[in-house]
Amino acid sequence: MSNTLLSIQGLTRRFGGLLAVSDVSATIAEGELVGLIGPNGAGKTTLFNLITGFTPPSDGTVTFDGQDVTGRKPWQIARMGMGRTFQNLRVFPNMTVFDNVSVGAVGAFGQSPWRALVNGGAHSRAVSERSWEALERVGLTAQAGDIAANLSYGKRKYLEIARALATAPRLLILDEPAAGLNDTETAELADFIRRLHAGGVTVLLVEHDMGLVMGSCSRVIVLASGRKIADGTPEAVQRDPAVLEAYLGVEDDAA
Amino acid sequence: MDVNVPDARLMPATLAPPAAFSGRGRRFAWTLLLLAVAFGAVPAAIVGTGSSYLAQIAITTMIFVILSASLNHVTGTAGLLSIGHAAFYGIGAYAAALLSTRLGLPFIVTLPAAGLIAALFGFLVALPTMRLVSIYFAVATLGIGEMIYVVLLNWVDVTRGPMGIRGIPPISLFGWQADTLLSRYLAVAVIAVACVWVLHRLTHSYYGNALRALREDDQCADSMGINVERLKIESFVVATFFAGIAGALLAHTSAYIAPDNFRFMESILILAMVVVGGLGSLPGAVVGALFMIVLPEALRDIGDYRMIAVGATMFLSILLLPKGMLAEGTALGFVRRSFSRGWATIAGGTPVGWK
Repeated sequence: MSNTLLSIQGLTRRFGGLLAVSDVSATIAEGELVGLIGPNGAGKTTLFNLITGFTPPSDGTVTFDGQDVTGRKPWQIARMGMGRTFQNLRVFPNMTVFDNVSVGAVGAFGQSPWRALVNGGAHSRAVSERSWEALERVGLTAQAGDIAANLSYGKRKYLEIARALATAPRLLILDEPAAGLNDTETAELADFIRRLHAGGVTVLLVEHDMGLVMGSCSRVIVLASGRKIADGTPEAVQRDPAVLEAYLGVEDDAA
Repeated sequence: MDVNVPDARLMPATLAPPAAFSGRGRRFAWTLLLLAVAFGAVPAAIVGTGSSYLAQIAITTMIFVILSASLNHVTGTAGLLSIGHAAFYGIGAYAAALLSTRLGLPFIVTLPAAGLIAALFGFLVALPTMRLVSIYFAVATLGIGEMIYVVLLNWVDVTRGPMGIRGIPPISLFGWQADTLLSRYLAVAVIAVACVWVLHRLTHSYYGNALRALREDDQCADSMGINVERLKIESFVVATFFAGIAGALLAHTSAYIAPDNFRFMESILILAMVVVGGLGSLPGAVVGALFMIVLPEALRDIGDYRMIAVGATMFLSILLLPKGMLAEGTALGFVRRSFSRGWATIAGGTPVGWK
């Protein structure tokens, strides 16, 4: 097994009396393509927010690239190399496609007002080139000058991914990327994600939809009622009684 | 890395990262035109007519160009609605007035000091309020603005209260004094152009993109690695710095300031300039200031009706051009092309990004 990139230990989050995420531990190694699935309300989004720093955990630790990042701010974690997309499409609507992507590159390279005033040429060039590269990877260079809000829904998904790629992430977390896509588009997306992974990006795919995850991921983590109930290959997970119970329910369920 | 989605195949394979956009000629054309107006046409008109009234309007316009452009930086670009901008204008004016009348400090000191003192107040206000959003931030700036106004009005020992401060020396530089109409205008114009240039560089850059990202979705910008709180504070400090500079110019060109110059109505006037010009658009902020200062003066002949006419014009302009006279998107494209700030050329030669 190669290096561990992300490791979460005993991660727990309470909201008042509700235990949204309970004692979840998992690791992701460099180069993996891991799926995180679970029925609605399983705690996927909360776990996602705990990892990216948006929500502080009640208990447990998040270790990224060998460093304890528990309690760090989202921008600090992002700058360490954790890129993400949002479930409900959050492009910057009034900015151009290119400018949207540039924000990811600016986040990664850092930016100061002084550099905008004097001697910022090399820095700007690096941001420009990184942004263009990210647009090339998702095939949106022809729309570079368009206002993001005018793109089709599907293209805005790729724009979000490009923006995350411009941060040069070591770990890319995609939050329900297939939401709102039809079957053809989902298949294209799956293809795209596989190629992204083949190109060397470590991906954590948080999905509601089983098909995309089972077809693409080498390992699947299953969450139900805030707990991790399975962690293994897609084949093993699909046969796991606990998973079947969580997704389909069992008649004599005593819990 | 070689990743293709179907869209990529539709594109010409030769579309390499494009060379830097070269538009020197056009860049010169627009820069020269603007400089010719500020330093050629307007001074010629002032000298030609010998009208102190005209000179005064030109000076007021330049001061409001700074105010409007700086408010646009924080409210238009970074999206923090400030309705207390006039208070920082006031702090700058009083700082310059007091430093020169009480301590006898020269303009070369009072000008930057006015900016820095206003920026310091801006920083102190920004620290606790940056976590407020939208209308809550606006109400906080309203409160701060009123507080500062009331202090200027009532701290009689220092500010002389409603009597204001008289006898503020004119702009001077190493023995040279701006005591003619023309020289007063020119001194203000040089400083205003410098201020707008700095704001232009800040806005029309990747730094500016980060500011716009805050406005669009600050949580999302956060997860891209943008230090949101720091950037918000920076934008507020920059805006209040330039408001302070504008205040110093007012103090040194009018020789007399009083708290009434910095009332809430002034903040609203500046905000109206930004909105009418186009929120987030620096050229728009300049045009908005011109429009809102020159129009009431041009309509003097209709007497008491002129403010109604100005109000109606504002109302109509915002109704017909809700994104302002020069909308942000248009303005950014214009600056990329005509001031050669853009980076790449795609297909038809449209630059994107920033240099």
